[in-house]
Amino acid sequence: MRLAGRHLWLGLATAPIVGFFALPILYLLAVSLKTKDDVLNGAFWPTATTLANWPAAFEAANVVGFIVNSVTVSLLAGFLTIALTLPSAYAVLRLKIGGKWLSDVTLSSYMAPPIVALIPLFFLLKTSGLLDTRAGLALIYGLANVPVAFWLLTPFLRRMPLEIEQAAAIDGAGPFRILLQIVVPIISPGIVATFIIVTVLAYNEFLFASAFTFSDATRTLPVGISLFQGDRLVNFGQMAAASLAGIAPVYLIALFMQRYLVSGLAHGAVK
Amino acid sequence: MTVVTLDAVGPDANRFSARRGDPWERFGRALWIAPVVFALAVTTLYPTVFLLGLAFSKSTLGKPFRGFVGVKHFATALQDPIFLSAIGRSVAYALSTSLLQLALGFLIALLFTSLLKGGRFLMSLVLLPLMTPPVMVGIAWKLIFAPAGGLLNGTLINYGVISQPISFLGHPLLAWLAIAVADLWQWTPFIVILCFAALSTIPEGVREAALVDGANGWQRFWHITLPLVAAPLSSIYLLKLILSFKLFDLVYILTFGGPGFATTSAGFSIYRRAIEQFDVGRAAAETIIYALVIGLATLPAVRLHQRFERREI
Repeated sequence: MRLAGRHLWLGLATAPIVGFFALPILYLLAVSLKTKDDVLNGAFWPTATTLANWPAAFEAANVVGFIVNSVTVSLLAGFLTIALTLPSAYAVLRLKIGGKWLSDVTLSSYMAPPIVALIPLFFLLKTSGLLDTRAGLALIYGLANVPVAFWLLTPFLRRMPLEIEQAAAIDGAGPFRILLQIVVPIISPGIVATFIIVTVLAYNEFLFASAFTFSDATRTLPVGISLFQGDRLVNFGQMAAASLAGIAPVYLIALFMQRYLVSGLAHGAVK
Repeated sequence: MTVVTLDAVGPDANRFSARRGDPWERFGRALWIAPVVFALAVTTLYPTVFLLGLAFSKSTLGKPFRGFVGVKHFATALQDPIFLSAIGRSVAYALSTSLLQLALGFLIALLFTSLLKGGRFLMSLVLLPLMTPPVMVGIAWKLIFAPAGGLLNGTLINYGVISQPISFLGHPLLAWLAIAVADLWQWTPFIVILCFAALSTIPEGVREAALVDGANGWQRFWHITLPLVAAPLSSIYLLKLILSFKLFDLVYILTFGGPGFATTSAGFSIYRRAIEQFDVGRAAAETIIYALVIGLATLPAVRLHQRFERREI
């Protein structure tokens, strides 16, 4: 009897939380299915559903192009971040190269607001001819997310059983071979989680993207979507449809990889 | 019996440190950390030096570094009430919303740890806001807060609470609340995940021992759970604080700094100065001032975190 009461209480406490976190996305979905008149009545669900907003959104703006740009840039950036961070994180932790100062400097560099780097990086991209290119944006994201990847990868490396690496060292494997052939396969869930998180960070980024890209050929999705509301006649239905189309790839990844992602995010803080 | 050096990858790394003097060996060691050092050089060191240069010179987006102007930009920035109040708002916003979200996230994490079965499903649900691009978060909440056709106004009118729609984003205080709600929606889940992980590190034995000693729920929470997670909580607060100081996207989408300058955060103000007014020198000086303010404002949290860390050991 008491147990049932406890469950009821917990259920009652959970319901509004679930409702609150589901609300904006469900409302986006509802608005994307509304007709033009329906949008203005302020009810949650549409009175008459229509799918017209979806093709219209893709016609009104180059949504597909924006998604392609975002995916290209963020995947390139994700690979770059991992390639740069993994050997260094391993060296700091296991080979005692770089020492504590490197991890301290890496983490504290994350404290500065990105606006600090905006203007200098603008000039860097301009000078190197990479302004308004996908490669330039990928390069910036790839470098900028190194501290995050360092923070996420270190706990996985630390939990790696030392004996296996030592056994490989006896067999004559050099540290780089040990990293690639022993460590990487064992901590691959951690690497995958880190890769997804830094890729999603790059996919979602807005400040740099809005300053460093200014043509439809390079604009990423957040920038492209933000232009929707600059129009004089904001079409809420189309904006909602385009937003959902942009969120969908990230949600699919989250759905399939949630176990890795939660543990990837959680390990960093717990240590 | 042969003695083999096992420590090549061990905590002492004898094999490497023994030959530290060899220049080739040193070069090989440096190569390992070169990528991260390069990344830091490009994203932190170079911007800092460049920014200092800009802040003391006459600069535009087209032509930087045209003549030394001394501390002129700093003086103008420090005398600009709009910029100063933007900094004040950013600090107040970051300190308060981070604390609120920490408290809320911790409570939700406590709730989720009590729900053994549903916990995993709920964890994947809270992952979604975290993965949503901030621009889309802003758009979703903008649709909810919109005066015409917004969900909140529609609901309030349908239930007869109000007769005329309220312009939530057009009112200085309500607009901040709207930004804070969207921020809370996006980031509280992250705090839930981190608190959930922190709570899961508490050994089951500690709780059982307290139960045997007859501690009630509140006593167990106050004397056992809370002290055990104090260190991770302080680092979570610090992390959220840093994220809050970066507030930009939500302001850009939800209010564009308005009404007037009411919701102009420091980051947004600097962005407009640099990208829209092209006054790069002044923007650089403002950035340096803001970075210093962030350092000062996070110092108490850093200190607190260090104290908890030391107590752990």
